[in-house]
Amino acid sequence: MPDLQLRPRRHYAATPAEILRLDNGLTLIYQPLPSEVATVDVWVPAGAAADSCSYSGMAHFLEHLIFKGTPTTRPGDFDALVENCGGFTNAATGYDYAHYYITTAAELLGHVLPTFADLLLNAAIPTEEFERERQVVLEELRQAKDDPDWVGFQALINQVYGQDIPHPYGRSILGTEAHLQAQSPELLRQFHRHHYQPDNMTVVVAGGVPRDRTLDWIQTHFVGQGARQGPVAQASLAKDPSTKDLIAKGLIAQDRVTKALTTPPKTSLKHPSQQASRQVLTLPNLEQARLMWAWIGPGLEDPETATGLDLLTAILTDGRLSRLVQELRESRRWVTDVESDYSCDRLGGLFTLTAWLDLEYLEAVEQAVQTQILDLQRRPVDLSELKRGQIQLERDFIFSLETPEDFAELYGHSSIIPDLDRVFDYPQWVQAWTPQSLQKLAQQYLSPDQARLTVLRPQS
Amino acid sequence: MTQPANSELHVPAARSPHRQVLDNGIVLLVTPNFTADIIAARLFMRSGSAWEQEHNAGLLNLLASLLTKGTEKYSSLEIAEQVESVGAGLGTDAATDYLLLSLKTVSSDFEPLLQLASDILRSPTFPESEIELERQLTLQSIRSQKEQPLSLAFDALRRSLYGDHPYALSALGTETSVASLTRDDLLACHQQHFRPDNLVVSISGRIEPGEAKARVEAILGDWQAPPTPLSALELPEVTSSPSTVQLAQQTHQAIIMLGHLAPAVHDVHYAPMKLINTYLGNGMSSRLFVELREKQGLAYEISTFFPTRLHAAPFGAYMGTAPENAVKARDGLCQEVKRLSDVRLSDEELEATRNKLLGQYVLGKQTNSQIAQIYGWYETLNLGIDFDERFQAQVQAVTSEAIQATAQAYFAEPYLSFVGPEETLEQLIA
Repeated sequence: MPDLQLRPRRHYAATPAEILRLDNGLTLIYQPLPSEVATVDVWVPAGAAADSCSYSGMAHFLEHLIFKGTPTTRPGDFDALVENCGGFTNAATGYDYAHYYITTAAELLGHVLPTFADLLLNAAIPTEEFERERQVVLEELRQAKDDPDWVGFQALINQVYGQDIPHPYGRSILGTEAHLQAQSPELLRQFHRHHYQPDNMTVVVAGGVPRDRTLDWIQTHFVGQGARQGPVAQASLAKDPSTKDLIAKGLIAQDRVTKALTTPPKTSLKHPSQQASRQVLTLPNLEQARLMWAWIGPGLEDPETATGLDLLTAILTDGRLSRLVQELRESRRWVTDVESDYSCDRLGGLFTLTAWLDLEYLEAVEQAVQTQILDLQRRPVDLSELKRGQIQLERDFIFSLETPEDFAELYGHSSIIPDLDRVFDYPQWVQAWTPQSLQKLAQQYLSPDQARLTVLRPQS
Repeated sequence: MTQPANSELHVPAARSPHRQVLDNGIVLLVTPNFTADIIAARLFMRSGSAWEQEHNAGLLNLLASLLTKGTEKYSSLEIAEQVESVGAGLGTDAATDYLLLSLKTVSSDFEPLLQLASDILRSPTFPESEIELERQLTLQSIRSQKEQPLSLAFDALRRSLYGDHPYALSALGTETSVASLTRDDLLACHQQHFRPDNLVVSISGRIEPGEAKARVEAILGDWQAPPTPLSALELPEVTSSPSTVQLAQQTHQAIIMLGHLAPAVHDVHYAPMKLINTYLGNGMSSRLFVELREKQGLAYEISTFFPTRLHAAPFGAYMGTAPENAVKARDGLCQEVKRLSDVRLSDEELEATRNKLLGQYVLGKQTNSQIAQIYGWYETLNLGIDFDERFQAQVQAVTSEAIQATAQAYFAEPYLSFVGPEETLEQLIA
């Protein structure tokens, strides 16, 4: 059964992690750490990208409903069990996955695990709980709509991904009110039974718990209930022409269970089309304007290239010496803040750059950012900039691995890429870039004719 | 519940800091922790926005933001260069009861960064041009708060709770006060608060206490306190006179917030109020979450706050809700808070709340930054580092009678703060 050992790295953990494939297909990643605390983090590759076009928000809604009990666990019992012994539990939904985690004193993890496994595998989704929780998710959506940065980002990803064919990353993870109103308990139950099976789960256990006990817990409690049902609402997927398009184009795997995890589709970068565009939104209650850019980049199939884009974000906006903070905030004083980020998912990555500013500087800043982006393509970055970016990313990597939760998060995110044992290569990938290779990278991915720009303006 | 012994893994014993007082009055706390190649340091000045008044609100925040913008030895860019060229973290922040410099490095970078931190605390120059930049950024931050309904509701609640007391004010200050602050104000403030006998240095990470002491002494040991005594902060008593404040905004959700004046950290009611805060608003099994969200679907975010303060702290409970549910939400929120004066918690409820509070307290001491922060903060508030244990013992000793007595003492008529559409506000105050 022991499959693979992650190579130990001096700075990160004294004992390496192990990846184990259990008989029922479940993947267990075990990371012992000298800690009084332990985390268990369960990753299911059924995020918003698994929603069908006419039922956006389903994966996230299910994440709420998981906590609503099973035939043997009443709603709320699990929360009370974990919290009343001093633990912490929560869940999150991304595009590629939903994940659920508990952090407790190490010696109490075994006390809460059986109920946790029961919730995830046997969620009952009672009808009246479904109705009430729908109100909660609608509140979550209302709250998001009162946040201009969320509203702007939704408009931006819609602009990037939603033009020819609706790509799953162009949708809101929360869904829309109409789509949420259209969902039924039975549809959610089908979605759950399809995706939440042991052979579709990665369980990360990190912290001060012994290996034998961990294995025993997971083998005993993470047992599936009967056979998997056909792909979720196969009928409703088939009726949905745009989803069929996506399946045909390889953007959504019809059976996401096994192969899909190890062979991400290479076609993802061809869609959506790479054309520059600019849209303007006028919002009420806005005190500052925003300029929000996005460029499409490589996904998790190419993590080494992604580190180059991470480096470009560091050179552009990480710290007071970075190009855009230096020029736009410290020197010209046109923006109150400027940030960039490279986020990398299974079907592709997104390079985003956001500036917060007074309306009067809108044109000047738009121009200045475009000039800096062009400059990255026209000449190599200075060696000193490169070195600074490299050490910033390397140190951030060290700083991000202190607690059991940190390790679980890193492994969980990486569990959907083929080579989990390469997660600790990140600093080496970062070191491999040169001014010349970064210049080529900028030419390939940050070209002005591929830029999407969303402008947020205050209502006058 | 069984608690099996952990036989296979070496788990370090609970960490506690080594405390030393240097000749110049600096209190040094060192918590060795060799699990990662990281050292975190928190340098606390006993100061904070509690020292401000309406006319100079935001002074400490402006000062904190300018500390890294120029010293006698280094320009703003040179400071940034020293930090960013080794990928370290260095930040400054003005809190209510203290001013903080935070540092995070790999162990080999610690000494030069501590040297820089010392320089920043001891000889900032407050260049005029940087003052103007930070002033503009602060003014914009103050305006940006208005984009966040929750922040608007809290701001208004805080004002009505505290009146003339400095806790009424946001650490950012007001547009008027920030516009009027001068370089002389900054210099005078620095001179008043920044002295070694007012400094607590708390370090956690890959370093032995002896080595830490040697380094801190070498770098900060020659800093001499002026002969003038440290000034003490005299604050007016706050008296409760509950009111309702509201702000109309075309939002998708209405914000309902309820508040009370609540105990300071030294008060006997402090530990019971921490338990009340946990019982009502901490997590998915908390009373408000279960009653108003899980049973009625009235909110997504619903919570309470009760920060640890040197003087009377604010207690608040809040939720965002659809405008059509605002009245129901307000009634539910008020009723649940008031209920604790009328009803005694059952033994199971008390036990569960205690476990939750103490368990999560321990989970909040995992990273080097968290460890350096908590001990340094207790020392800064003059609670002593053993407050870590005392607080846990106090919580263990709280009875349900004590909780009810605390609720009765503090939860009379509530202060209320609403943000939402005009029509909703009309219903709420009708």
